[in-house]
Amino acid sequence: MAGSLVLELDSHIYRLEAVQKAAYRFIDRLTVLISERDGGPIVCEIEPIAGGTTLFDILLADFKRELLDQQLRSKIKAETEPVRNLILAYAFSRSGLQQ
Amino acid sequence: MSKFQRLDFYRSQTGRYHLLPFRFERVGDGEVVVTNSAGEFAYLTPGKLKALVSHTLPVTDPDYTLLRSRHFIREEDDAASLELLALKVRTRLSRLRDFTNLHLFVVTLRCDHSCHYCQVSRKTEDKAAFDMTPETASKALDFVFRSPNNAVKIEFQGGEPLLNFPLIRHIVLDAESRNLDFKKNLQFVISTTLSLATDTILEFCRDHNIHLSSSLDGPEDLHNKNRPRPGRDSHARFVEGLSRARDMVGYDSVSALMTTSPASIGRVRDIIDEYLRLGFGSIFLRHLSPYGFALKTKSFHEYNAETWLDFYREGMDYIIALNESGTRFVEHYSALVLTKMLTSNDPGFIDLMNPSGAGIAAIVFNYDGDVYASDESRMLHEMGDSSFRLGNIHKNTYEEVFTSDALLSTLEDSFTLSIPMCADCAFEPWCGADPVYHHARYGDILGRKPESEFCKRMMGTIKYLLNAMKDAQTREIFDRWVNKC
Amino acid sequence: MLTLSGAVLATNASKGDTKRQLFSLSTNPNLPSPIKSQKAFLVSSGNEVSDGFRHYIVFNVKPERLPNEAPYTIVGDEFRYFGDKDVVAIGNGRIRCLYRASSSHNSILLTEQCNNYCLMCSQPPKRVSDPWLLEEALELIRLIPRETQSLGITGGEPTLLGDGLIELLRLTRNWLPHTSVHLLSNGRAFADAQFAKKYAAVSHHDLMLGIPVYSCDPTRHDYVVQARGAFDETIRGILNLKQLNQRVEIRVVIHKQTYQGLLDLAEFIARNLLFVDHVALMGLETTGFTRANMDALWIDPAEYKGELGKTVRKLRNYGIRASVYNHPLCLVNSDAEQCYVKSISDWKNEYAPECTMCSRRNECGGFFLSGIQYGYSKHITPFP
Repeated sequence: MAGSLVLELDSHIYRLEAVQKAAYRFIDRLTVLISERDGGPIVCEIEPIAGGTTLFDILLADFKRELLDQQLRSKIKAETEPVRNLILAYAFSRSGLQQ
Repeated sequence: MSKFQRLDFYRSQTGRYHLLPFRFERVGDGEVVVTNSAGEFAYLTPGKLKALVSHTLPVTDPDYTLLRSRHFIREEDDAASLELLALKVRTRLSRLRDFTNLHLFVVTLRCDHSCHYCQVSRKTEDKAAFDMTPETASKALDFVFRSPNNAVKIEFQGGEPLLNFPLIRHIVLDAESRNLDFKKNLQFVISTTLSLATDTILEFCRDHNIHLSSSLDGPEDLHNKNRPRPGRDSHARFVEGLSRARDMVGYDSVSALMTTSPASIGRVRDIIDEYLRLGFGSIFLRHLSPYGFALKTKSFHEYNAETWLDFYREGMDYIIALNESGTRFVEHYSALVLTKMLTSNDPGFIDLMNPSGAGIAAIVFNYDGDVYASDESRMLHEMGDSSFRLGNIHKNTYEEVFTSDALLSTLEDSFTLSIPMCADCAFEPWCGADPVYHHARYGDILGRKPESEFCKRMMGTIKYLLNAMKDAQTREIFDRWVNKC
Repeated sequence: MLTLSGAVLATNASKGDTKRQLFSLSTNPNLPSPIKSQKAFLVSSGNEVSDGFRHYIVFNVKPERLPNEAPYTIVGDEFRYFGDKDVVAIGNGRIRCLYRASSSHNSILLTEQCNNYCLMCSQPPKRVSDPWLLEEALELIRLIPRETQSLGITGGEPTLLGDGLIELLRLTRNWLPHTSVHLLSNGRAFADAQFAKKYAAVSHHDLMLGIPVYSCDPTRHDYVVQARGAFDETIRGILNLKQLNQRVEIRVVIHKQTYQGLLDLAEFIARNLLFVDHVALMGLETTGFTRANMDALWIDPAEYKGELGKTVRKLRNYGIRASVYNHPLCLVNSDAEQCYVKSISDWKNEYAPECTMCSRRNECGGFFLSGIQYGYSKHITPFP
């Protein structure tokens, strides 16, 4: 089929959650089927949504960049999760400073 | 020099730092916006972002200093940054603690106008079946005075509420006499077209400090097109009513709201000029909501987010230029978003609250005693969808209404931090959940964000504002808007 | 410029009696004797001399009309400014003016020790312990006229006295219930919530705490105050104080190390410390350590006019009260002028030769004497 593609991603580098989030962000432009085999790569079968106006190649480049961004986001989130909880705990526990 | 140390002596010697919670979004080629949970932001290049996350940003980098002072990173011994962040997060959420403040009373569904985008079903002037009764009003006031919030605002809605002015008078007097005991900060607002504002009504407003929230859609032709009434004189009646209301009640006691109809598109400058001509110092470039007749008549579909954004951007360019040349003029929608971007306060505007402001910042008493989580929820009900109906004051207790599933699950589900995509969105601290909107439009509370018009509109607005305030003069104008200077 | 302390010319105090004594001065010979016996009489050319005062202060030579056996101190003409209700300390052959009734800039030095070591410190700290300063201050508070409007408390770092400072503040509250008090501190001690609570518990009627914050960059602030971790403690101190509803003023000295970060600092304050009561933006005083660090610190105020103006506008736009201190009026842009305060203490201020022709001299704070001596802006332009 014209304009469809299979992308294999190293699961040591990409987290499944990041791949899913990237796919979600493109939900209005691309159909992405994600599968993962034990120990093997994460496989994305990508197709453009019918009627889209942007070139598939451009979409694909954007999607790949989004994958990297999501990977970064997931790293930030994992690293800052404890401190985020700490800040929320602080925020709800301390009194004063209200006008 | 001996006894004084150099600047480098006070830098971290290890180069180690911790990330604080933040999110990022690409906004253009070679530019990334990072935001923290308090809504503070900074620009980075993608390269710097990568270095930041990989813990290789050098302590001597100017961005290191910026990110540390704006609380995106902290060094091991920086205890103050955690306290400050917590304080800012707390301040932003503090409105939740205040609970219900705004109480809407739909005193009648009747109206003298028949606007095609009207958010509630129009009824003719003689159907008294659509008026609220004094008994219903009295029960609603019981609820109002149970609000834990010390500030209470009662807003009269319609229809055209002035068609049931005797009830407004009754409610105001009743509320005032009850308040002799409660001593709350009590405010009244009437949402009216002013077309039926007699001197007697205005005198009452003057004597009871009632604010008039009116509607002006633009120049005469546009306004009359949007707001048909017998005699096609809506605009003339508004102008006449405005002038009398300013004389009798007070200049600042009358405000006007604008709705962007399909006919408004392309005419934003005319609309703003009309506001200027009539002596207004601000405007609210409101998009059309997908409720009531707007959705039924499909006029909602006549323009999409992108069209509205063009309208908005053109209007904002004009407004910024006005301010730069010395005429102070505020655009309220931007001011609300900017307040989240540039201050640590939350403006508490219901559409932009997180979790959703529905029910906890506003509560609606419909003419028949039904209670809704927001004005939009009762409009949805008028269209046959009662998802956000919390109960009825004749049948349910206060506790039942405020712990109803319709309210609690809406709040819980709409907490943007738990929504796919919103949870990772760098603009989330400046945005809000609009569960009723998404329900109306997409049939579920969250909406699929990439397809959501709400999301597109917010993204577009925020990107416009971010870009505009790169100009120092515009930034100063925005500073004044958000602080009401 | 006034001479606040110096050697006395002579005294008839017995040799062994060198103990420092504080006196409240009077120029009124007709005071009732119970009050006379507590006061020192200021003998000047015009006034008659009556007996019964506890002490007499005379100029240059002992006048014959002085009562026999009355204890007296002879001082030089540099102290001619002494007036009624002033308070002086005499001892060890020296006289020091501790309080001037005619001035609105009185301040009490509590200690010369400090845990910061600011590059531009005008009162360089000393290591030696000086508990006598607190003792003197406690005595002074009781001698200061009850109608005094304002009083400063300064150091060194007054909070190093710990409970001693609390005691002094309590005394100030009790003896001077109509006086507004301005305390200068680096704020670090208030990072200790217990100490902040003790301070708040004084519940003074009119107390403002001036705390310096020089940059929103912790590294730079620490560098300016030459103390690692100072920024963090100072900010946490401010938070603790505001949590206890104490009034706090942020003080910024503008110099080569701070002017570039001024606007960022204003934004930091708007974003994080919006609840502070006042922000003071101050010019550099070329005295103390500043003179040793001139290369690192000196910048002509004409060069940061723009930054100062923007900073003032930012603070005002966010509704924060701000003032510009210690600047010649002609070096401040019109947008900052609305916050301009003619601030330099009256005993310190001077004008440059260029100022002779200026039409707005009486609105201008002028210069510190040290500024005139060691260099000032090349851009002084008298208003026509």
